[in-house]
Amino acid sequence: MKFILTIFIVLSLSLSPSCAQEDAWSYTSDNLHPGEETHLTEHEREEAIHSSDAVEDNDPFEPVNRGIFWCNGILDMVLIEPLACMYKEIIPELVRERVGYFLRNLSEPIVFVNNHLQGKSEDAGDTLARFLINSTLGIGGLFDVTTDWGIPYKKEDFGLTLASWGVKSGPYIVLPILGPSNLRDSVGRIGDYAFDPINWWAYCDDQAFYSYSRTAAQILDAKTDNIDLLDDLKKNSVDYYATIRTWYDERRKDLMIADADRKATDTPRPDDDDDDDHDSDPDDNN
Amino acid sequence: MWKKLIFLGALFFIGISSVKAETNSKQAEAFMSEIGEKVITLLTDKSISNQERADQFRVILKTKFNGKAIGKFVLGRYWKQATEEEKKKFLELFTETTVASYATRFKEYTSEKFEITGSRPESDGGVTVLSRIVRTNGQTIPIDWKIFEKNGELRIYDVILEGISMGITQRSEYAAVIQKGGGKIQAINKALEQKLGSYKSASPAVASH
Repeated sequence: MKFILTIFIVLSLSLSPSCAQEDAWSYTSDNLHPGEETHLTEHEREEAIHSSDAVEDNDPFEPVNRGIFWCNGILDMVLIEPLACMYKEIIPELVRERVGYFLRNLSEPIVFVNNHLQGKSEDAGDTLARFLINSTLGIGGLFDVTTDWGIPYKKEDFGLTLASWGVKSGPYIVLPILGPSNLRDSVGRIGDYAFDPINWWAYCDDQAFYSYSRTAAQILDAKTDNIDLLDDLKKNSVDYYATIRTWYDERRKDLMIADADRKATDTPRPDDDDDDDHDSDPDDNN
Repeated sequence: MWKKLIFLGALFFIGISSVKAETNSKQAEAFMSEIGEKVITLLTDKSISNQERADQFRVILKTKFNGKAIGKFVLGRYWKQATEEEKKKFLELFTETTVASYATRFKEYTSEKFEITGSRPESDGGVTVLSRIVRTNGQTIPIDWKIFEKNGELRIYDVILEGISMGITQRSEYAAVIQKGGGKIQAINKALEQKLGSYKSASPAVASH
């Protein structure tokens, strides 16, 4: 019954004005800015993605952020990491993967909403197909059938939607428990929470506790998945806070780029002065 | 007539440049898969000691990565402010910590598979080789390698892990350390020295000279 209700909500959303009149959004913005291009120009989009400031110059609350980061680290050490380790040791990989897929499937409806808000109707179709197929053939989302069929999961959230509308990231913020974020993505989190059809369904059903357990499960799942990577970053950095800050910023930028536009040009490159000196010649070390 | 000639000339030029990029991509892929094989052989060879293994890693990393270009990039705007002595010290420490960090990493990732999945020529003349590490539990980690050819020799200039450039990450991290240290280059050199010390105490073979 609940399941049918969920599907009903999703379907009604897909038939909502944002879908039926695809250019409703551009119509309003036309009225607001007469003569301006409705879609963001390439330049504006680039600017929103690669917002001018380096992230280390975009952290006005650094002392507070470092404090929260430190507290999160303690919480992580005494609670989340031991739990994640236990979970990893006790529960077989196969089961953990099912849990991960199940949680991800629950996030598809809000991804779908964001696909629409970004005007990506093709992605929205893919997301809807993923949700419907994986919820049925994939037994309530326990199995990711569609990835094998060539429709892989593509993360979207309201923070990314805001970015696609040209909203800049705003200052870097470390949230208690939830960790690294920025002003735009924090607003995005609230938006995602408020508009997540799955949450509506939970509230209809008066299961307030449900959303807490879902968030907790998500944190644990993410932690278990990334425990090695985070461990690696921590061990190999001289300032873990700064590493995570950049890592978060770059990760978010990466999520905004379509595969076709991916490039790596802001990297070290050869110049006249980078030939080996004699003192760094490898043969000298042997 | 002139228009046609210019058009043909342009076509010819485009043809040449794309052919050149193509060979570079293939070369770069071959270059990376050779390094991958070398590293795996080194890891699975039980007949050599840990010390030997660490030494050979050092050789691979120092000859295949352009440590100086990377070091310059990660110091960013502070490179120009640094004195010659500070630069020299920084590059030395940077190379050593990089060698040590990779040596410990490779030691942990022993039973994983390394696969080249393709390559992409970049507008700056470099080539990004796309690869992934397949972990024993089936999880894949995408790793891209930015490669440039200089003086007829290919070298790695950046490692892009899950879409995130290590060069950019380190540049930002080092800038934070220098800012905290009152804008002095010594701050990062001191931090790297401490880091190197921690690698040495954790695994003496990895970071020894």
